[in-house]
Amino acid sequence: MYSFIAKRLAIAVPTLLILIIFSFILMFAAPGGPFGGERPPPAAVLANIEARYGLDQPYIVQMFSYVKNVVFHFDFGPSFQYRDRTVNDVIAQGFPVTLTYGAWSALVAVVVGVSLGVAAAIRQNTWLDYLAVGITIGAQALPNFVMAPMLVLLFTLGLGWLPGGGWSGGLLIDACDAGDRLCFNNPFGGAVRFDYLILPVIALSTSYMASIARITRSSMLEVMNSNFIRTAMAKGLPMRRVIFRHALKPALLPVISYLGPAVVGMITGSVVVDVAFSTGGIGQFFVNSAFSRDYAVIMGITILVGALTILFNLLVDVLYAWIDPKIRY
Amino acid sequence: MITQTDVKMLEETAHLAQVRGRSLWEDARVRFFRNKAAVAGLFVLIAICAFALFGGLFAKFEPDYVDFSLMGANAYQGVPSLSSGHYFGTDIDGRDLFARTVQGTSISLLVGIVGSLVAVVVGTLYGATAGYVGGRTDGIMMRIVDILMSIPFMFVLILMLVIFGRSILMLFIGIGLISWLNMARIARGQTLTIKNKEFVEAAIATGVSPFTIILRHIIPNLLGIVIVYATLLVPEMIIFESFISYLGLGVQEPNTSLGALINAGASQMTNGTLWMLFYPLGFFLITLFAFFFVGDGLRDALDPKDR
Amino acid sequence: MTFKTKLLASTAALLIATGGAVLADGHATHPDTGVALASDQSFTYSVLDDFPSIDPALVEDVEGASVARDLFEGLMTEDATGTVQPGVATGFEVSEDGLTYTFTLRENAKWSNGDPVVAGDFVYGLQRAANPETASEYAWYLEVMGVENAAAVTAGEMPLDALGISAPDDFTVVYKIDAPRPYFPQMTTFPTTFPQHRATIEAHGDEWTRAENMVSNGAYVLSDYVPAEKLVRSRNAMYWDNDNTIIEEITALIINDSNQALTRYLAGEIDVVMDVPAGQFPRLNTEYPGEALSLPSSCTYYYQFNQSDSGPEALKDVRVRQALSLAVNRDIITDNVLAGGQRPSWTLTHWAIAGWEQPEIAAASMTQDERNAMAVELMAEAGYGDDNPLTVEIVYNTSDSHQSVAVAVGQMWKQTLGVDVTLANQEWATFLDTRGEQNYEVARSGWCADYNEPSTYTDLLTSGSAYNDGKYIDADIDALAQEAKFAEDAMPLYREMEQIASDNAYFLPIYHYASVRMIAPDMENWPTENLLQNWYSKDLYISASE
Repeated sequence: MYSFIAKRLAIAVPTLLILIIFSFILMFAAPGGPFGGERPPPAAVLANIEARYGLDQPYIVQMFSYVKNVVFHFDFGPSFQYRDRTVNDVIAQGFPVTLTYGAWSALVAVVVGVSLGVAAAIRQNTWLDYLAVGITIGAQALPNFVMAPMLVLLFTLGLGWLPGGGWSGGLLIDACDAGDRLCFNNPFGGAVRFDYLILPVIALSTSYMASIARITRSSMLEVMNSNFIRTAMAKGLPMRRVIFRHALKPALLPVISYLGPAVVGMITGSVVVDVAFSTGGIGQFFVNSAFSRDYAVIMGITILVGALTILFNLLVDVLYAWIDPKIRY
Repeated sequence: MITQTDVKMLEETAHLAQVRGRSLWEDARVRFFRNKAAVAGLFVLIAICAFALFGGLFAKFEPDYVDFSLMGANAYQGVPSLSSGHYFGTDIDGRDLFARTVQGTSISLLVGIVGSLVAVVVGTLYGATAGYVGGRTDGIMMRIVDILMSIPFMFVLILMLVIFGRSILMLFIGIGLISWLNMARIARGQTLTIKNKEFVEAAIATGVSPFTIILRHIIPNLLGIVIVYATLLVPEMIIFESFISYLGLGVQEPNTSLGALINAGASQMTNGTLWMLFYPLGFFLITLFAFFFVGDGLRDALDPKDR
Repeated sequence: MTFKTKLLASTAALLIATGGAVLADGHATHPDTGVALASDQSFTYSVLDDFPSIDPALVEDVEGASVARDLFEGLMTEDATGTVQPGVATGFEVSEDGLTYTFTLRENAKWSNGDPVVAGDFVYGLQRAANPETASEYAWYLEVMGVENAAAVTAGEMPLDALGISAPDDFTVVYKIDAPRPYFPQMTTFPTTFPQHRATIEAHGDEWTRAENMVSNGAYVLSDYVPAEKLVRSRNAMYWDNDNTIIEEITALIINDSNQALTRYLAGEIDVVMDVPAGQFPRLNTEYPGEALSLPSSCTYYYQFNQSDSGPEALKDVRVRQALSLAVNRDIITDNVLAGGQRPSWTLTHWAIAGWEQPEIAAASMTQDERNAMAVELMAEAGYGDDNPLTVEIVYNTSDSHQSVAVAVGQMWKQTLGVDVTLANQEWATFLDTRGEQNYEVARSGWCADYNEPSTYTDLLTSGSAYNDGKYIDADIDALAQEAKFAEDAMPLYREMEQIASDNAYFLPIYHYASVRMIAPDMENWPTENLLQNWYSKDLYISASE
């Protein structure tokens, strides 16, 4: 297993290189550039700007020096959009935000989704099943760009319970302010505050939760129908034990396949959530930089997403082998 | 058109099931039609297709006709009413929402079905092959998927727009390009366990060719999860379409889709014109329910273990 | 004639100075109006997009300029009506030929680190904006100002000190410009001309604009900036007029979604919303009277006709262009689609530009029925009708309000003229390419004034303008533009240019912008008469709610 992991990590490097080359070609081929906009500055000014960022070099030179800087200095270059920040700065600011609300979303989605799916499967065609199905389809029919404004209308404007947006340092802060809700001082220093986290987590996790519940339900039904579970039941083992000891593990296999990319999607954030709650997360940076052709930030975030995708898919494969020891790679 | 594609999907699954022998397929059909929820879902789906195809005949207005007295600031007067002929009211630009919902439903149904079909066919075959063959082939095939999942897809879409121009075909290609990736991963993951099962080992021992094993033994056992994931893809693709259209590649005004209508309705949520959101959202919801019950029925009917 | 301008501090400022201490204490009242002040003098406003930059040399958007105006102070500033008043300079003199401006600086102006603000800081600031190494996208502003040698310095053809600004002593700044410009003093209120602190910039390089590094000379200092989330500025104790500043802290929230911003305003999280969604003004004005404000904003929305070789033949026919222009019912677009106090437009120049009078445009005084009848006639003359319908494609960048306008215009053409209209939206960068390369038939455009004088618009009418994406050429307009540069009274010339452009329907003006804002009832003194939407936090205050 260790040699498998080592091999996969080694392959990650050329995979990322191909990703970089591909993305570079796509970016340069797409119309529009990072500078100018509605009123393009005089040619001399534009030339100055391009010289500053090395955009006057041939594409192949730009790509080569980019790769060199990334590999040898872990330097993703300066952001075109934010003159006083490098891409490393942008990611260092935005990624912790999405990582925080994304990880919580993943947790909520998995816990609620799996429970709902298992409950629906073992009580197939009862009211519990119908309720679970109703909830999950309802959740999917409510895209997050509809749900986010509804949440703000309800919890901020209507009830006044939660802030309608912002991040303000996020989950872990130095100390609670007097009026803060859902803020808990840690006796050993620092404080934990949930008020800015809740709405983004609900908005992001709901549809993932629904998908996980649906996959779990279907896969659980299949496993419950399989011979070895029928045998176990026939032996008179208690239901609870059959479910948790024997059925759940194999039933989770497709859920884990789904979770690999889904978790990457969650922790790298969603532009809808970032925009709706103005969290300053990386999802928004990615889309904005793509629209404004901030090549450096696009590349930085693409590499981040690529690395995480490779990592999580490796994790998925390791989990497979743990669930089903017969699997050999 | 819709019913045709729908039938095609059934045929597709039928074809996959057929290889196991006609009697089993007959069996599945009988089981499907015994499942009341699935049959109801099928009826609703047919009704929605009929609405998308023929609903336009009942509309009193063309979907692009603007009533200048009911737009923008006066949109609140465009309430749904039978007497004005705007059964679903008007949208923010003063156009008949009924006619537009009909049009949006037909485009979004197509998008959803094409997206899941591509995923079912390409994703399943790709994933099953990678998982079954394993080793270096699996490694390369899955790294390709990793790369495709991570590239900034927006630029692919923009380039398609610039090179090929906008058309509905390009929209479907764009949808198809992205929809199969997750399916491939899921199919491959399941294949990894299935290929160690006794019946596969038996088939290998009797010298059945790998391709036949994939088609006859692996894929039928994948169908449960594949169908469920395909129904999950329907809403995802319908929403994704609005992003493609945002870039200019997909559906262009005055044509519309459910995603675009829901988006427009959602931005007027606080403006007192909630019907603009609720009618398209309602159709979206009903479509998803129908797809779910049909998918669930198919899954039950086709489950090879459930004899 | 040498005329000397000595701008006195406004009476308001004098009153403030004599009114005693006005620190934000619960019982304080505003020295000028006598209104009781709230104990918490801080406010939050929302902007739609992140600030591309707040470095004065780089600032390129309206909201970034507002931040720069709080953090820095130029030679001149503006009062609530947009009238120029003393900033760091106490006044200026103009030479007889109108080409040399001599500004006298006040001696008590300080940087936030205590250093005195000297004339050299202004010279350094302007040179830095022009420096090719700075690579400022707004370096062209110096050309618009007419600063001597600006273009050559930016192009790297001349050294920095050839730029037409100098500091004979620590408290005198001398500008040399290439042609008389009566509006020149107002241009010194623009951030590109602001002073900059050389030692800070040299020590920190590009990172000098970070909150922990920045040294500024305005009424406020930058205390926090989280990109895409918020920007906070707080009182600068070193500011020369700090005693008369009332607002303590300003937070700008970056909220990409105007509907969300509005909801959060209604929930009390935000005091000023800069961009209210289109079409919602009438309802908000009824439900929250006095809070919804519609202010004229100096921008014009128009459609360009592609008249270049790549454009369709039909649009080269002036009758077709006229007909298309006449058939657009601008009142419906301003009153129904946008409904935020925008005004129908028949010229590029905004109606509220100082001294502007619209030329006699026949269509402007007709009823829409008359215009439609005339349009139908012109189309028939041009040979288009039921048997030979014109087909036109409108390209616009993706946005709800552009879409609404395009849908309405398309239907007007279809319903009145039987034109077959298709709409095409594109993402912004793609759209700019399409329009800039004349890859379109009809394209959406907008233009905003850089300064309060018609030439900021009429320059676009000339064939040499980089923004003439319709690629029409009119020798008369070009000649008039040249003449206007040195004319004693250029106003009639500007009018004539607009007249010619309108007669030929070179483009299709649709409406003049207005900005719709929501402003909390306790926010006082928000300027409503400043056409360029310039506002200074130091002039605002928050009244105590009863």
